Amino acid sequence: MNTTTKSDYLLLFRGNVWDRGLSPAQLQKVVSDWMAWFERLKAEGKCAGGHPLEDEGKVVFGKQRTVADGPFAESKEAIGGYFYLTVADENEAIEIAQQCPGLEYGAVVEVRPVADVCSVRQRAEEYSPGQFAGARA
Amino acid sequence: MLLFRGPHWDRGLSTEELQQAMNKVMAWFEGLAERGKIKGAQPLGGEGRVISGTDGRFVMDGPFTETKEAVGGYLVLQADSLTEAVEIARSMPTLRYGISVEVRPILAECPILQRHPELVQRVKDHVGEQLRVAVAA
Repeated sequence: MNTTTKSDYLLLFRGNVWDRGLSPAQLQKVVSDWMAWFERLKAEGKCAGGHPLEDEGKVVFGKQRTVADGPFAESKEAIGGYFYLTVADENEAIEIAQQCPGLEYGAVVEVRPVADVCSVRQRAEEYSPGQFAGARA
Repeated sequence: MLLFRGPHWDRGLSTEELQQAMNKVMAWFEGLAERGKIKGAQPLGGEGRVISGTDGRFVMDGPFTETKEAVGGYLVLQADSLTEAVEIARSMPTLRYGISVEVRPILAECPILQRHPELVQRVKDHVGEQLRVAVAA
């Protein structure tokens, strides 16, 4: 159980093409602002970490456990990176998301609460209480 | 990083099937943890917000976690290669119920700077300057 008043949120940065077409000066500014933003949040104890993700990856799906290239080379929905936030509440997480320097160029930030227990497990426990006493995944 | 997509894979499963699936998932997770493969992992809550537009002026409910594309959780793997990460993703027990797993290498550096190495030094200088200003303020 969460015994503090802090809650954890994940910011997922979506879109990996918004930087195309920016001038070198704009790129320099947006990247600098982004890095300074990250360093400031870490110094304030509001961000526990974060990373950019490589565009190229793999997607695994289906009963045959198929492996495909992906997710997609260029897309507005593709996740380009994440920050892990520890903040007072959802409003603070949203306020931080609104400071993302990529927003004005079309980046989108998804704000998601980090859950203690996975939603499927929660539903499973509702069906049959006490059946899932093992370690929490 | 493994991104688990399609958090409503349990729809239509009987209580017994669901219990078996959850036990397999927990055993899978604990096996990885014992082998020292997990740097971090969390389920994400269904309630979230999507922020877009300059200064984050658009704040919308979402994403719709009912979809197959929605991210329901993540796992940061300590893997030696993309091949190993894909093999681990392929061993995820709930693939047969319709989830997909996106496997994305984590980058140490911003991909924009990788594409524009000439900006690296200028960005470093700029970030340093911004942080000095922030500390002074």
